[in-house]
Amino acid sequence: MSVYLVNKILYMTDNDADFRKRMRDNAEETVKSFPLSGEEIEALITGDVGALYRMGVHTFFLNHLGRYNLFGVTRENYLERIRNGMDYDPRFDQGEMPVQCVPEEK
Amino acid sequence: MAKIVLAAGVPHPPRLVKEIEDSQEPLKSEAMFRQVRQHVEKAEPDVIIEVDSDHFVNFFYNNVPAFCLGLAEESEGPQEIWCPMPQYTVKGHVPMAQDLLSYGIGSNFDLAAAHELRLDHSIMIPLHFLNPGMEIPVVPLYVNGFAAPLPNAPRCFSLGQMIRGFVDQWGGNERIAIIASGAFAQDVGGPLRGWTDEEWVDTVSGLLEEGKYETLTGRATAERMAAAGNNSSELLNWITLTGAVGDTRPLFVETDNGSAYGVWELDK
Repeated sequence: MSVYLVNKILYMTDNDADFRKRMRDNAEETVKSFPLSGEEIEALITGDVGALYRMGVHTFFLNHLGRYNLFGVTRENYLERIRNGMDYDPRFDQGEMPVQCVPEEK
Repeated sequence: MAKIVLAAGVPHPPRLVKEIEDSQEPLKSEAMFRQVRQHVEKAEPDVIIEVDSDHFVNFFYNNVPAFCLGLAEESEGPQEIWCPMPQYTVKGHVPMAQDLLSYGIGSNFDLAAAHELRLDHSIMIPLHFLNPGMEIPVVPLYVNGFAAPLPNAPRCFSLGQMIRGFVDQWGGNERIAIIASGAFAQDVGGPLRGWTDEEWVDTVSGLLEEGKYETLTGRATAERMAAAGNNSSELLNWITLTGAVGDTRPLFVETDNGSAYGVWELDK
């Protein structure tokens, strides 16, 4: 398992402008350039937030998927995706995701 | 003699500056920050020690210290492009930070030290509201709040006591404010986003109001904090603060959306 690298890819997306450009230009090619497991690549490129969460990717990093609209993940579908595969919990019905948008590069 | 004149705990909602701008009506968070700021202005601190948890902006899993002091002459933030607020340069207080580092090491606190910092929203939101113009120098003290395993609550409480001991023997005349940044119960980016563990919020705020800091420290286990959401470990910053205030009870602790605003006046 290389969850560390999945976390790192998302960390760099948020913190490194050059890497963020690579992700925005071709996210799939960029993540495939890392020695990830097939399962990790599949979960990333299909935007399977729930699978990544179960693998142990930190939620602060998962949040960047929606924040930067990577692999089809948006602020609107993020919660639905991370809960995919989880049993229903009544706490799901409380509260909503705040709407956030990412400004253009400075 | 130097002394801690004020301690305050506040949250750091990353979009708060913009939310206030856009809101048609007054927000509770805006009013609360204004209230805390009035206490900061009244206390006239010369230095702020800001106890905070980096949100994977300055640190990553390649190297995460349990505790780290900022020794930079100046630092900039917020670094996150998604945090809509002004960019600032924050002055450090290198002599004090350096001596606190040495005092900590001498007191068996093996603090890490960083001479360059990338400040995130959790440092900058409180400073935007409480340190206008960034005129007051800031000593950042990072507590690992997110890369488990985290330091335990009793250790954080002791860290606060150590800071108090440091200030009491520091040779300068500085008036020092301790600002802790963080929430009590939130699940940021987690499946329970939006839910608030109100029972835990009430427990924490009640124990703070009653000055039962060691009871709070005992109850704030890693398991209990995790059950309240992935962001709830920011309580460790508040617990560090309580270690520094001695027997003083807060003027108020006002909860808001899983977090709180609290002020301790120590200038007696």
